[in-house]
Amino acid sequence: MVARSYSRGRSLLAVMRLAVLTFLADPQWLVPSLIAPVVFGLVSYELFAGSGPWFVLYAILGAGMMSMWGQTLYGSGWATGQDRHLGTLEPTLTAPTPYLYIVLGRVIWNTLAGLLGGAIVFVVVAITYGHPIPLANPLLFLLMFAFVITTLAAVGVVFAAAYVYTRYAGFVQNVGEFAFYIGTGCMFPVVLLPFWSNPVSLVLPPTWALDALRYLAIPGYQGFSWGFWGDMAGALGTTALYLGIAGTVFRRVERHVLEAGDLNDW
Amino acid sequence: MSKGPAIHTRDVRRVFESRKGFFFNELVRTEALRGVDLDVADGEIFGLLGPNGAGKTTFTKILSTLLIPTSGTVEVLGMDVVKDAVRLRPRIGLVLGGERGLYNRISARENLRYFADLYGVPMERRDRRIQEVIDRVDLTSAADRRVEEFSRGMKQKLHLARGILHGPEVLFLDEPTIGLDPKSARETRKLIRSLVADGVTIFLTTHYMFEAEELCERIAVLSRGRIVARDTVAGLRRLVGGDRTIEVEAYGFDEGEVARLKHIAGVSRIVSEEFGPKLRLTLRVGTTDLSLDTIRNQLTNHAELTVRERRTSLEDVYLDLVEEEAT
Repeated sequence: MVARSYSRGRSLLAVMRLAVLTFLADPQWLVPSLIAPVVFGLVSYELFAGSGPWFVLYAILGAGMMSMWGQTLYGSGWATGQDRHLGTLEPTLTAPTPYLYIVLGRVIWNTLAGLLGGAIVFVVVAITYGHPIPLANPLLFLLMFAFVITTLAAVGVVFAAAYVYTRYAGFVQNVGEFAFYIGTGCMFPVVLLPFWSNPVSLVLPPTWALDALRYLAIPGYQGFSWGFWGDMAGALGTTALYLGIAGTVFRRVERHVLEAGDLNDW
Repeated sequence: MSKGPAIHTRDVRRVFESRKGFFFNELVRTEALRGVDLDVADGEIFGLLGPNGAGKTTFTKILSTLLIPTSGTVEVLGMDVVKDAVRLRPRIGLVLGGERGLYNRISARENLRYFADLYGVPMERRDRRIQEVIDRVDLTSAADRRVEEFSRGMKQKLHLARGILHGPEVLFLDEPTIGLDPKSARETRKLIRSLVADGVTIFLTTHYMFEAEELCERIAVLSRGRIVARDTVAGLRRLVGGDRTIEVEAYGFDEGEVARLKHIAGVSRIVSEEFGPKLRLTLRVGTTDLSLDTIRNQLTNHAELTVRERRTSLEDVYLDLVEEEAT
């Protein structure tokens, strides 16, 4: 026997490498990862430039988050759907690496690609309009940004499980995408939403993380009444919950698909 | 110390359930496997034959941990395929073949590198091992081309390369030469034999009877989810009535003639089929004493009578068994 046993770290790197190669081989990904964020950013600037620099930052953060989420959701969930389409789900599941690590690898790569998209938004807007977008705490902002990525990844993993579970997961994704854009406050503040929708917002980790990010980046920001640390606690709690759910869901989903025998359906 | 069987199954059943109707309220149950018992020895090439829909792929997927049986015992290398799937997977390989199952936008080498990493092929050996299997399946000149540019045969070879990449002890091959040209198919069979020489146990499903006959030490015939026969090729020939097959063709036979042929000593089975304007009777014969003249003497009223003999092929055996099961 040539193989010993899988290594989680090596498997994650292999998945990320495959995602990069696939990304480079398929120009369609330039739209959600680069072109869309820049367009969102420029439009936001044009719309809100007259409302002051901090409001511009508020809007651009939302736009960047939308594109990051799009990248995470499409890149992670859609890639699993592609595994079904290509027929690679079966050989991948026959390998000893648990499928959860395959999805995690994709989520990490896609959130990093989304992060790159977010950074490019800031740079392009700054260059186009001739002055940089101000940040209250640049270093903390970067750390917080990394944390936001983690919260996105946590939700992305759960969505990816749906793609393993059923070939009809695209429906879930499309519904989830709009719920996410509206529910997390990317498009407009959550406080403007009707009260009944608040539970949906609050179970999404990025709602908390995005609010915390805005607290950090925008001086005098008035978000949720519990403030920055309350947001952080909420984000940490919901992220942990999602990661816990993802682990359990994946084990069950893997069992289910092996029982159903529909891995090759697409 | 003697090893146990590489594959051991008892009473394996598999039922697929699906819902139909406008409100998905109609439950449809399909019994794909109906109690399969099988033992495959360590280091053996075992062939599984069966018509489309007999349950071959279902059984192969169960053995390779891709599908959970509804009931029954399934052990590969002494491990339960459901409970010990994670421990078992690095020790087995699966080649399902076909056009799908590969990452088309990257090269063959990158496909193999990805799976080498997922299987934990040691880093220090990985690239050398990938080159080894690429050379072994004769994809050397195409290794760095995108898979989307590959012909079906080349994809089949890449499937095979991936299946053996991690050095499995048991290899499941589902139609391994389908889509290959005769030269490539012959090379693949040579490769399969060389794997057995390396100590790999091979479980093979195929529709090509000559392939099964050429490669397999023992063969099982699966029909309608049940194994209807299992033996060596010689044993299966005996099972359907013998090594010799005599074919008799004429413009029709009456019932009395067929009855007389049935009563000849050594004739164990007669199958009749239309053959153009003529009727062909195929006789399985288990004795060397019966001459063709004995047959001719029973059929004297035919102006045009053809009587010829050939060796009973595995295809004859297979068709007899499947037909018998169906009726």
